[in-house]
Amino acid sequence: MMRRLKKWLFLPSLALAAILLFSIPTTSGQAQAASTGAVLAGSVFDRQRQAVQEAIVTIQSPGASPDEAAGALQAVTQADGSYLLPIPGKLHGDEILVIQRTHFQTLEIPLALGIIDRLNAGEAVHMEKVVLLRQINAAFWVATLIFVVVLALIALGWLHNTLSALMGAALIFVASYLGPLVRADLFIFSFNDALKYIDWNVIFLIMGMMIVIAVVERTGIFQWLAFRAYKLSGGRPWLLLPILMLITGVASAFLDNVTTMLLMTPITVQIALSMGINPLALLIPEVFSSNVIGISTLVGTPTNILIGSYGKISFNDFLTKLTPGVLIAFVGLIFYSYWIFRKDLKTEADEDMQALLMEKLEKQAVIREPKNLKKAGWIGLAMLILFVTGEHLQMLPSVTAIIGATALLVWIRPDIDEMIESVDWTTLVFFMTLFICVGAIQEVGLIAFIADWIAGLVGNNLLLAMLAITWFSALLSTVIANIPFTAAMLPVIGFLTGNITGAESKALFYCLSIGSGMGGNGSLIGASANMVTAGIAERAGYPITYAYFLKKGFPALLITVGLGSIWLLIKFL
Amino acid sequence: MSGIVCAIRGGPLSQPTIRKAIETAKSDQIPVHFLYVVNLDFLEHSEQARTQVIQQEMREMGEFICLKAQIEARREGVQADIFIREGNVTEEIIALSRELQAGVVVLGRPQTERVSNFLDLKRLEKFVHMLEDETDAKVIFPAEDQG
Repeated sequence: MMRRLKKWLFLPSLALAAILLFSIPTTSGQAQAASTGAVLAGSVFDRQRQAVQEAIVTIQSPGASPDEAAGALQAVTQADGSYLLPIPGKLHGDEILVIQRTHFQTLEIPLALGIIDRLNAGEAVHMEKVVLLRQINAAFWVATLIFVVVLALIALGWLHNTLSALMGAALIFVASYLGPLVRADLFIFSFNDALKYIDWNVIFLIMGMMIVIAVVERTGIFQWLAFRAYKLSGGRPWLLLPILMLITGVASAFLDNVTTMLLMTPITVQIALSMGINPLALLIPEVFSSNVIGISTLVGTPTNILIGSYGKISFNDFLTKLTPGVLIAFVGLIFYSYWIFRKDLKTEADEDMQALLMEKLEKQAVIREPKNLKKAGWIGLAMLILFVTGEHLQMLPSVTAIIGATALLVWIRPDIDEMIESVDWTTLVFFMTLFICVGAIQEVGLIAFIADWIAGLVGNNLLLAMLAITWFSALLSTVIANIPFTAAMLPVIGFLTGNITGAESKALFYCLSIGSGMGGNGSLIGASANMVTAGIAERAGYPITYAYFLKKGFPALLITVGLGSIWLLIKFL
Repeated sequence: MSGIVCAIRGGPLSQPTIRKAIETAKSDQIPVHFLYVVNLDFLEHSEQARTQVIQQEMREMGEFICLKAQIEARREGVQADIFIREGNVTEEIIALSRELQAGVVVLGRPQTERVSNFLDLKRLEKFVHMLEDETDAKVIFPAEDQG
């Protein structure tokens, strides 16, 4: 029954994907129709110079009768903060321009006589930009508390990530719809406004890539590649180590890190055991590599998908501006891995046993679905071309992912039920509800306060801002989940990008990518890939404790984030 | 007695358990059945959609770990076979022991730091009694000096 329901939901959702993606507005400009006659125009911003949307702009007269007040002229600000207020009749001379928006202090500006005269003469008058000040009210504290609770639940693992974020979103709606019965200022935002904070480009990109991964993971390519790596190395661990790190890294750059590690870990354990070496000497460098090289492309990690979509950074931008830095960090990581595992990489092989175990591995490490792998290869190549050329066609990466995934499904014709089960719907719901939680703290002004605080610390100094963002996000990613952290930081980075000289190159977004991605190596809980690797290793009799990972991982964080930072400083300063 | 059920996980901590099972099987002239239980509880908080594919990979890994133990046993002239199951480890040990009417179950000795106090030792004792009641088999551990 459930499978049937999912099937019915799945196909329309693919169609909906295309419709929604093509309907995402590409321009934010003035949408209000201009009227004839006198017009008062202007724009409204907050203290962080971000446009204030949906503020109500009215002209009120203190001496107006209740009927006149009820019929006061009114306009609503657009996505770029602009408003256009048509003035159909004559003004009395005592009018006040009133700008109101939830979570902001109401602004009243008496209209100068000169302006009133020009409006009465039927002219269009453009007012100066106005700044609305934030208001800390009950909704601010409620939204902040909910977000902190969600982060804590995710970090402590008391609730499933999706359930934590879903609960956060539900509480936000309880506060917004039931709260005003107790206190009017408990309103955070409406359901429709909440939906505007969901980044559908991210959702559909992740969904499309999940379908592609679901096809690829069944082919046995990872196991085959790992075994080929062993063959290529001729059984020499010092050569096998960088080859496995490279395979894991490249796979992570295009597929998600967790899936890559889930598939690489069991085969790596077997190769290591056959060679008589400690599996952790291969597994830990692999997961480091996955976290480092994973950020080299737009689609490699959910954090990069978030950053790319918010910062309007293309696939090519990531390749040209970030990938070289990632490769430098990777070279550092290889040397570091050799150093820390130099003793464990010595083989204690029992030749007879090795021969028997290798025989089993060879039988096991085969391509199970060669035809499907070939088709997936062609589609993958086409997707890569579209990712690279897409920006010239105004094609969002999510459109490429959806087209690629659909083409793959049509070509391969897999069991659609199995494919649907392979799409991690809980993750998609996690992202949607997380966007709502982050939207709430953005709406009430918490993000603006954080942005102000960081701006106060770094001033107009790009170097300081780059170092602060990179290291702050790297260190924080070792203790809190990097996806909600990145989602919350994006509006802050957006503000800093618009306010620090030189930051328009989007350097700070790349800093966030390096910090939140490579920061995952700093502790066992820093990245989901670390956790699943530890889970499998433990089931093979090689537990990875928090302290063990910290000892090996934190220096890896310092080395890779350090090298990545140096690259970014050279590139952007 | 129709054999020994030896649940293993692999790694250095399983070595004393494997050795104990082989020694017992050799002295009693009975076969040993190595059991590996695939348990994907660690995916509970993340990748549930991936379980189908991962389960297969984990089965392969379990077979590999048991194969290593089987080779060791055969070298000692002990007949050994491999069982891979999915689910809860305790339940699967009980199920396999009943199925094979095993006379002995060899378990890994819990790490000393985990049984550091009286309460934990009591719990372990209770667990052994429960297992013996459920399976009609004798539960043994490797000697202290073996791990």
